[in-house]
Amino acid sequence: MSLLKLENITKRFGGLIAVNKVSLEISKGEFVGIVGPNGSGKTTLFNVISGVYFPEEGRVIFDGQDITTLQPYKRAPLGIGRTFQIPRPFASATVRENVAVGAMFGTLSGKVSVDESLEIADKTIERVRLQEHKDKPAGALTPVEKKLMEIARALAMKPKLLLMDEAMAGMHPNDIDQMVAFIKQIAVEEKIAIVSMVEHIMRAVVGMAEKVIVLHQGSKIVDAPTKEALEDPKVVEVYLGHPPEE
Amino acid sequence: MKKEITKYYPLIPVFTAYLFLFLVGKNISGMWQLVAMLLFYCAMGQAFNIFLGMTGYVDFGYVAFMGVGTYGMALAITNLAHIEGLGIGIIIIGFILALLMSTLLSMAVGAVALRLRGAYFAIATIGVNEGFRFLIEGARIWNGSEGLIFTAQLNQILGREAASSLMTYWADIMVLFIAALAAFVTLFYMRSKIGYALTALREDEDAAKVMGINVTKYKITAFITSACFAGLVGATSWALKTPYVFPPEVFEIHYTIEAIIIVLLGGAGTLLGPVVGGLIYGISKYYLSIFMPGFQLLIFAPIIIIIIVLFPEGVVGMLKSRTKGSVLARFII
Amino acid sequence: MFLEQLTGNLIQGIVLGAVYGMATMGLSLIFGVLKVVNVGHGAFIMVGAFVTLWLFNALGINPILAVPVAFAVGMGLGFIFYYTTMQRLIKAPELATLLATFSIGILLEELVKLTFGSEFRGYNWVVGKIDIGVTVLPMSKLYACIGSVIIALLLYLWFNKTRAGSAVRSVVEDSEGARVCGVNVGGAYALSFALGIGLTVASGVLLTMFIPVGINPYMGGGYTLKAFVIAVLGGLSSPYGAFFGGLAFGLIENGSYTLFALIPGVEPFALTRFLSFVMLLAILLIKPTGLLSTK
Repeated sequence: MSLLKLENITKRFGGLIAVNKVSLEISKGEFVGIVGPNGSGKTTLFNVISGVYFPEEGRVIFDGQDITTLQPYKRAPLGIGRTFQIPRPFASATVRENVAVGAMFGTLSGKVSVDESLEIADKTIERVRLQEHKDKPAGALTPVEKKLMEIARALAMKPKLLLMDEAMAGMHPNDIDQMVAFIKQIAVEEKIAIVSMVEHIMRAVVGMAEKVIVLHQGSKIVDAPTKEALEDPKVVEVYLGHPPEE
Repeated sequence: MKKEITKYYPLIPVFTAYLFLFLVGKNISGMWQLVAMLLFYCAMGQAFNIFLGMTGYVDFGYVAFMGVGTYGMALAITNLAHIEGLGIGIIIIGFILALLMSTLLSMAVGAVALRLRGAYFAIATIGVNEGFRFLIEGARIWNGSEGLIFTAQLNQILGREAASSLMTYWADIMVLFIAALAAFVTLFYMRSKIGYALTALREDEDAAKVMGINVTKYKITAFITSACFAGLVGATSWALKTPYVFPPEVFEIHYTIEAIIIVLLGGAGTLLGPVVGGLIYGISKYYLSIFMPGFQLLIFAPIIIIIIVLFPEGVVGMLKSRTKGSVLARFII
Repeated sequence: MFLEQLTGNLIQGIVLGAVYGMATMGLSLIFGVLKVVNVGHGAFIMVGAFVTLWLFNALGINPILAVPVAFAVGMGLGFIFYYTTMQRLIKAPELATLLATFSIGILLEELVKLTFGSEFRGYNWVVGKIDIGVTVLPMSKLYACIGSVIIALLLYLWFNKTRAGSAVRSVVEDSEGARVCGVNVGGAYALSFALGIGLTVASGVLLTMFIPVGINPYMGGGYTLKAFVIAVLGGLSSPYGAFFGGLAFGLIENGSYTLFALIPGVEPFALTRFLSFVMLLAILLIKPTGLLSTK
């Protein structure tokens, strides 16, 4: 059964169409890569899923429930966690408090106490190996640490779906491999579906993905198992600017 | 259980400061007037900090809540003075009315203004105090611009002697309790989910929403709580200490400015900040008004600018980062 | 009789409204470019009023000639406050810029009070009046109205016909994009802030024509509130929107005063001020981007 289903989503800004009739399905525990250059509508699509924007047309169905116009703060507890393209930590709060916020407000029962949240935060922080920094204000972290902190914050929400916006941007290639392996491991252990969004076809990310969706100028042009997607002529055209040579 | 108690350690310096103020006023002759003024500033700072400090939203119309609180007490006394045997009960009714009126006004203002962000919120609130003042004056509500004077009624209910000790002593003790209660509520919020939600929304409202925080609910909670304390401060420091109320005085934006200075000076969003800010501001204002009368604002305006540019964390904010990791850190937040 | 009075008041409203509009253009310009709300706006209007007063009473200079002087004074103040304060706060939270501009306003008020005292003052510029049937217009008000229109047109030309103007426009559109295209964004910020303050101080000169004896260090507060209503009417970030917002506001203010005066037992002037506060909230609630804007 699919976990997330988008049906014909269209989102406009003034006269511009940011996302054009996109439909897609994500299954439970699936690892999906969404690829598209800057301005292809990826971030807008994430914002539609997490409720920052409501689409003009189409429906968003999560876990069997229509959430198209549900307020964003009501979506997180259903199991939708996300990280941001440019990390958005609560800068003055410590890493531990940041992650605790995820546990406190983002879980389904809604009844996690402050102390329990802090305990969950401690455990989650260890998983992303930030324990040395846990009492630092989140604003004082390095960019890569901030990304890890955001992942921990999202994981503390016990999501069913984790949306990761450019999680590996700016990382050293070796770190990327490690990071992707780590995310994959978590996804398998906790049965979280992961949608990772990247600007370029990154070997590491796409290699791990079971499915690749390619967006181009707001429209979905490819949605196929990884191997097929990479060989699709349309993908090559978008990324190389010309049709593949025979 | 022990852990529960350690959570409230930061109240120790706050309450010590208040106790110290009380003892100074009580035992050193001629000091009570200064102490009363300092208590007023600390209470106003504690009250305003719950909203400005914890949410980062600037409410330029804040004094309106103190104003309607003053009216609440004034209306209770002027309208119920003829009832025999009400005695001190009339003051309790006055407090209830003050709370009710500041709650209602904050809900009305909050319903509109809290839908707006940042600059738009500040613009929406900048006219609240003036707007309310002109409504009272223009539509001649509650005796319009002539105001309400109720010294006679207070004397009639409580007796001349009791009324006078209320004005010069007990009202200040009540302000002390209001300030202490506001500090307790601040810490309680900080230690509960409300505080985490407010910190998150202060730093990044959109990210907070996506993390599952119902930002509107928490903003309104902080707004109404802060307004209620403002109403109590108005009812006590203004209505009970000086038993009259005139619209231009209780809706004077000057008090909002003072509250902002106190909170910023001490450190916005800290527990001890309003006490430190209130003391520094109150003492310097007191001595400036003796040695350089009329120059207070001229001196304070550049000070605010300097704080904003160079020390945005305020005194307690800086102490907090200095004491990080030491034993003191458990007491200073 | 009533209709005649209403028409007369509405004409006065248009004349005043043009000046209101011009007095708000600086606020909108600064918000449009720097995203900073100048909460000390009214204090700069007050500075303009005192420049006029001083030039007229001490040197006998015609208030019309005070306009360029006030503009220069405003530009100077704008650059000083930009480089000492605002520049450091561009990236700071909104709280910081709001409180900084607020404090700058207080500082100006107190400095003027220190220099000129806090009593109400005025000057007496005799230029006659013109009777147009339904109402009598003092020539000074008419000059203020014409002056406002000319300044608004000059600003329009500056924006659209000069290099500096188009640089500022590009920053309004997209400051990152402008930076990439080689626009000195910091310079554009400083220039816009100074220009905005210059316009506001200059508008203070024109506003004195409507309050011959109402010049006082604390006169600005009321104008700050009015300017916010007007700016929000016009969309907050568009100087031209502000100009038309001012016209609308002048009409509403004078029209509603005439109507409130018909209700027995109220104080119409205070109710007019209350109405402007209600309008502010209502517009922010319905359409924060401005009723007159197309966005």
